[in-house]
Amino acid sequence: MNFLKRGLLSITRRKGKSLILLAVLFILGNVIAGAISISQATANVEESIKDKLGTAATVELDYEELESMDESEMMNFEIQNLDEELINQIGELPYVKYYDYNTTTYLASEEIDSYNGMEEEDGEYIEQGMGMEFQLKGVNYAPVLDIEEGKSNLVEGRVFTEEEIENGTPVAIISKKLAEKNNIQVGDTLSLMNQIYEFSESGEEEITDSRDVPLEVVGIFEPQTVNTDSENQEQADFMDMELQNTIYVANEIVSQEIKYSVGDQAEYEDYFIPAFVLNKPEDAEAFEEEVTPLLPELFIVRHATDSYESIAAPIESMSTLSKYVLIVSIITTILIIGLVVLLFLRDRKHELGIYLSLGESRIRVIGQIVTEVLIVSIIGMTLSLFTGNLLAQTVSDSMIDNDNNNQREEQMYYSEMQTDLTTDDVLEAYEVNLTGEFILLFYAVGIITILLSTLIPLIYIIRLNPKKIMM
Amino acid sequence: MILETKELNYYYQDGESRRFVLKDTNVSFDKGKFYTILGQSGSGKTTLLSLLSAMDTPHNGEVVFDGKNILEIGHDNYRRNKVGIIFQSYNLIPTFTAVENVLVSMSITENELPDDHKTVAYNLLDYIGISQDKANRTVNKLSGGEQQRVAIARALSTNVELILADEPTGNLDEGMEQEIIDIFKKLAHEHNKCVIMVTHSNDIAMQSEQTFYLKKGVLNTNE
Repeated sequence: MNFLKRGLLSITRRKGKSLILLAVLFILGNVIAGAISISQATANVEESIKDKLGTAATVELDYEELESMDESEMMNFEIQNLDEELINQIGELPYVKYYDYNTTTYLASEEIDSYNGMEEEDGEYIEQGMGMEFQLKGVNYAPVLDIEEGKSNLVEGRVFTEEEIENGTPVAIISKKLAEKNNIQVGDTLSLMNQIYEFSESGEEEITDSRDVPLEVVGIFEPQTVNTDSENQEQADFMDMELQNTIYVANEIVSQEIKYSVGDQAEYEDYFIPAFVLNKPEDAEAFEEEVTPLLPELFIVRHATDSYESIAAPIESMSTLSKYVLIVSIITTILIIGLVVLLFLRDRKHELGIYLSLGESRIRVIGQIVTEVLIVSIIGMTLSLFTGNLLAQTVSDSMIDNDNNNQREEQMYYSEMQTDLTTDDVLEAYEVNLTGEFILLFYAVGIITILLSTLIPLIYIIRLNPKKIMM
Repeated sequence: MILETKELNYYYQDGESRRFVLKDTNVSFDKGKFYTILGQSGSGKTTLLSLLSAMDTPHNGEVVFDGKNILEIGHDNYRRNKVGIIFQSYNLIPTFTAVENVLVSMSITENELPDDHKTVAYNLLDYIGISQDKANRTVNKLSGGEQQRVAIARALSTNVELILADEPTGNLDEGMEQEIIDIFKKLAHEHNKCVIMVTHSNDIAMQSEQTFYLKKGVLNTNE
């Protein structure tokens, strides 16, 4: 009967005490399992959402910093433009997979109708004159970054060629819905109109000049649909409309049209918004470190993943809370189990003295006690694995509801890197699951905690003097 | 000679002075004999036994087993493989059965034993007077005499040559007391064991081959 068998016998022969230990471990195991479940679920959400957000980065003006300036400081501050040379310099860094820079303007059209969103397309919308409804988005990257990154799919035709981008050839890629609405096929030419407005003294706007912008359609794209619930439907509709009415052209074309509309009123300088797609998410930090010193004052690097924090507020708060709960529950477990085991050992002092008087090594006596505690712990942990997971689901559901209602109003802010993903997407991705990874982590944390909790009782065994107990 | 003590001293420090429990004790024991150590309460009998059983360490002097200081053998090793100890209060594990108590010591010793521990344990208990039925009961369901028999079986189970007993009949009635003494005599004479028993009973002492009298820390062969 080795010490392991003695341990097993002790558990079965002291049913009452084993059950008390089991009950305590079950309760504490639930708290630990719940905290780990939530913590891991939030980590999974972060990983999957950041993965969806991609490795894109941009360089843009830090509006928050600008707003924090006082009035006189702001008046004296001259905002610099990002020139093409700097964008290319950054784009050539080894962390960058590919990059683009865009300039945008809005044009009208007499010939084609804009896409007006799902509800309006059903027939209730009444057109009110000709507006600048088409977003002409200039690109420098011929394969088109949005298509390359999977934000849109090319459903017909082709993307641009390097020559078309370089020469500013009047070719365009339009959305499928816009093409369908106006019965445009690849190879057709659509005509947009660039108008110059002036405001009369009475405040009415007057078109003083206009010119046609003919573009040959070389490709048709379809934006990826964003799933939203009814609460965000309005915002989603607006974003969808904007995308459907976007017409990709070479930067040079946009630049010419802006110059035309500005006329000779001011010296025009191109305003580019760069977009860099990095090789891998881990490059983000090094990229930022290298790029920041090159930037004009008040410009900062912004990553697509930055928006995670703003859209994942309820998850983040839950993640923080679960980490605290985990730490507190581990400390509590160490103390409570340590004390319970110590009390039980005091009751068994005589038995331990017998083992020592028979010449059993203290290591084996310790081994027996650790075995007993571990066997009961593993049973308790296995039971709490399932209930703790269920508990985590219930608690996190109610916490998410609470937090989401409280924080919904704080989510809006504008950035070039703003994502289509919303808090609701994050919450949808949140799932408390009984995964293999969770089970392993729970057992590892649990067993280490239990082993730590047996440290104090073990000191008690080491100090036992068999003569004092037995004679 | 299987066991001897050389200039054994044990004392309690009381400020500057020392109160000796054992002073320059020299004694030796042979196999095949039943010894008793007689003395009044507080005379140091149990202390001597605790030193002989390596449950405690002397301040000076040495305990020699088979020509080797037990410190060299190692106290745990000595208790595990060289000596069987029987206590007044039996000291059995109350949640285990009689046979399980015997099996515990068999699993701890490194002495060579037959493979089938369980059969050996049952046979040993039977030899000591515990039937298989009783051997399967938890020890707290046995009488005092039966529990002491289990304790004797446990001490014998490791196949040691030296048995130390600390007032093993102290909690037993007279009839049972004699039965236990008979077992000890049988172990010494039939099985060539060295049995050393601490007692305060003259009747028991008279049944041993040799009695040592312990008085004020000094061990004598005469009263």
